[in-house]
Amino acid sequence: MSSHAASAPAALSAAPASTAPAAVKALTLGLAGIALTALGLFVSGAKVVAHSWLVGVTYWTAIAIGMLLLVLIHHIFDASWSTVIRRQFEHGLAAFKWLGLLFLPLLLASFLYDRDLIWPWLDLNHEMHGGHTVGHDPLYLKKAAFLNPGMLLGITIAFFASWIWLSSRLRRASFTQDQDGSLGWTRHNRVTAAIGLPIAALTLTFAAIYWIKSLEYHWFSTMYGVWFFANCVRGALSFGVIIMVWLWQRGDYRGILNTNHFHSIGLLMLAFTVFWAYVTFSQYFLIWNANVPEETFWYNLREINHDGASNQWKWIGIFGILFGHFFIPFFFLLSYRFKITPHILRRIAIWILAIILLDLCYNIMPALKDSHGDALPLLSLNLVWILSSVVGVGGVCGWAYLRSFGTAKLIPICDPRIGESLTHHE
Amino acid sequence: MSAQTYGLIATFKTAPSLYHAAEAVRDAGYRHWDCITPFPVHGLDKAMGLRRSVVPRISLIGGITGFCTGMSLIWWTGAVDYKLIVGGKPLFSPMFAFPVAYELTILFTAFATIIGMFVLNGLPMHYHPVLKYDQIRRGMDDTFFIVIEARDPRFNAANTRALLEQAGGETITELDP
Repeated sequence: MSSHAASAPAALSAAPASTAPAAVKALTLGLAGIALTALGLFVSGAKVVAHSWLVGVTYWTAIAIGMLLLVLIHHIFDASWSTVIRRQFEHGLAAFKWLGLLFLPLLLASFLYDRDLIWPWLDLNHEMHGGHTVGHDPLYLKKAAFLNPGMLLGITIAFFASWIWLSSRLRRASFTQDQDGSLGWTRHNRVTAAIGLPIAALTLTFAAIYWIKSLEYHWFSTMYGVWFFANCVRGALSFGVIIMVWLWQRGDYRGILNTNHFHSIGLLMLAFTVFWAYVTFSQYFLIWNANVPEETFWYNLREINHDGASNQWKWIGIFGILFGHFFIPFFFLLSYRFKITPHILRRIAIWILAIILLDLCYNIMPALKDSHGDALPLLSLNLVWILSSVVGVGGVCGWAYLRSFGTAKLIPICDPRIGESLTHHE
Repeated sequence: MSAQTYGLIATFKTAPSLYHAAEAVRDAGYRHWDCITPFPVHGLDKAMGLRRSVVPRISLIGGITGFCTGMSLIWWTGAVDYKLIVGGKPLFSPMFAFPVAYELTILFTAFATIIGMFVLNGLPMHYHPVLKYDQIRRGMDDTFFIVIEARDPRFNAANTRALLEQAGGETITELDP
């Protein structure tokens, strides 16, 4: 059994193979995506592009938050098996400061260009369905202390500040431990995890409420933060699988990962698939059962047009969200063989990542309405700007990850749990 | 002779020696045999050539049965046997049947898993011939054992004893049935 630990150091002492060329490629791709999205401003207008950009930024922010949560959870539980993959999540956390920068255009454009661009409650003169304005809407006035420009600005800065702060604490402690081997850093990170988990839970919940749910500020759902949380973790686990398989095939992870690491992360993917479904179904079911107009309109918008005809979002809801986001990954991940076969597990990880994007589109894009108040369809030119935003933000995040990748060892070699992790269940 | 004995039991001092002996017994083609260890030895299932358990399949069947039971229970009671409109909802909808179906999925999965596990591993078992072996208590402390049963088609008192000896077994004893 100890022979596995003995065979690992050969891979550990060498610095990881350079990812600099890949980082440049990622950045180029990202900038191309951003440029194409900017081009969209002249084709589809600022409103459409701003919503698409919101999808792109929240998508990658969700994955980064998920990685932050996984690292925090790893430390608070003093977990062992995930030690060998934790470093990759720590590299992923490098993206937060760039995500903050990429979120900035949404705030700047909302404040300086058009208050009514994304969040209707930023503009008190925004006309509501029925003729009155937001400023005279009793449902807004009740929430005005919460939904106002100062709060949006302040709380968004606070979100990114706390994520960046937690990330830099976790990264610094983990990377320094590689050098000096001090066990104090492990304790340091456990303290960070204890402080950080409530902060991360609250910030991600409020981020989901401010950035996404408030697009329809009449609507409310107490499940919303949990829904976002489930997507964050599913995204991070799936991205973790993609990184694991990539580094496995490249050779870095040979002798480090064994079948049980893939099995374990696959089990977490299955658990969070069920958790996501539980939360998402509960939200739908409670609204369906109570059947009050203040809540049902949100789903009606995603099902029928004003004339009663079904719209695209209905089919996206059934086939994309219900089947694509739950049944397909659920039955797929039930299989032991699929979970332990890297390239098959990667396939379902890519599928889940694609469906998380669809889920965010489902939550954000119907805020764009035509003159009848019907949701604009997804399959249109708008989809191009969504995809270009995702590529744009993703390219920058990938660059941040790959740039960080070269600055530290592949796995935290001085972590007290590293031996256990290298021989996970062997 | 072989009708009078349950099988042969061999002792081993360390986990690695047991592990390699298990590989030797597996490669010799025995099917009715087992290892007794004071603690779980990771990877021993592979060394013994054990396949993955079929319990997960039984669980899946239990889960599907539970889901269908829940759905049809709500459908039969609310939409067929005693039609009753509640809260202006349709007589049947998978929406409100879902919590019931979901609970029964979990319940039936749990039953199928536990019952399937007990049936497959033959528990509860009140008597087993190895319990009469005076050294067996050390299997809870510091000694590892391999038992090869006489009902195995490849069992042959002399050859099996030779195999266990060759594999590093120390004290080799015949077990009474």
